[in-house]
Amino acid sequence: MTSQADFLQPPRPAVWLVNLFTSAEEAESILGDLLEEYFHLVSKSGVAFARNWYWRQTVKTIAHLVGAGFRVAPWSTTAAAVGGFLLLRFVSGLPERAIFAVLHRYQVFEHHFNGYVFFATNGIAIGHVIVSMFVGCIVALAAKGREMVATMTLGLVLGALAGAAMLAWVARTGDASSLWMRPWYFADSVAIVMGGAIVRTRRSAAMLRRSNA
Amino acid sequence: MSGRDYLGEFEHIIVLALLRLDDRAYGVTVRQEIEFRTNREVSIGAVYATLDRLETKGFVKSHRGDPTPERGGRSKRFFRVTAKGVAAVNRTQRALQRMTEGLDLIRTYS
Repeated sequence: MTSQADFLQPPRPAVWLVNLFTSAEEAESILGDLLEEYFHLVSKSGVAFARNWYWRQTVKTIAHLVGAGFRVAPWSTTAAAVGGFLLLRFVSGLPERAIFAVLHRYQVFEHHFNGYVFFATNGIAIGHVIVSMFVGCIVALAAKGREMVATMTLGLVLGALAGAAMLAWVARTGDASSLWMRPWYFADSVAIVMGGAIVRTRRSAAMLRRSNA
Repeated sequence: MSGRDYLGEFEHIIVLALLRLDDRAYGVTVRQEIEFRTNREVSIGAVYATLDRLETKGFVKSHRGDPTPERGGRSKRFFRVTAKGVAAVNRTQRALQRMTEGLDLIRTYS
């Protein structure tokens, strides 16, 4: 349940997002400035207005920080994204191979047909998401300090490729019935960015622990 | 003289805001000064991204203030314009003046 004191605070997801896209030093200034103006707006225009303002500032701030992060180190960010792309190409076949090896080893097709169908369809899709998240973590580890910029670059490139491939397929076959599968096409991109967010969050927590010690 | 010696449009606005605010210039006051004088909503991220770029070029310097409770115990980052920054803003102003000399902007283009 949200207490009155919590309600007066800026939206937590917005604060988390700003933390995700900034270095510890940047976060100190940016979050301090946002909080100062937020409390001023709460007393002047009310909590709802202030929270809307905070979200607007968060979205615009992240867009600027991503752009600035890429401009500051375009080559190393691109190298991390290209490395991630190649790694993904290398490991993307692993879920199918691993799942079918296990299914055949235990003869699931003969004994548990429904289980076989589930693992051969959704299981592989889930495996792809896990592998993509793993690749996102590797890219974020390589792009120290620009974890989110590097993983977002890779995620956007993959998302654009998936979108283009999907449109080309629909244009060629005229069959749009499989568009319901659309979220899955972009799940890998989201998983890569989530991998970046996990590494970034853990690094921030480790830095905070070190500075408090 | 290279293009790097001149300020971009938003860099120019930021440096002018710092000169106006003098020793009170930090994220919040810079953002509010620009919004007040230009009537355009500016994000704090845009302000810091530009200030960081200006600091890299040596046009501004920053230092940390003391942590304050209304900022959740976080410190302010104050900025001031360096001599190199003042020279860059003068150069940019002069270039703009030379470009607009002889143009009757209000009558011709409004």
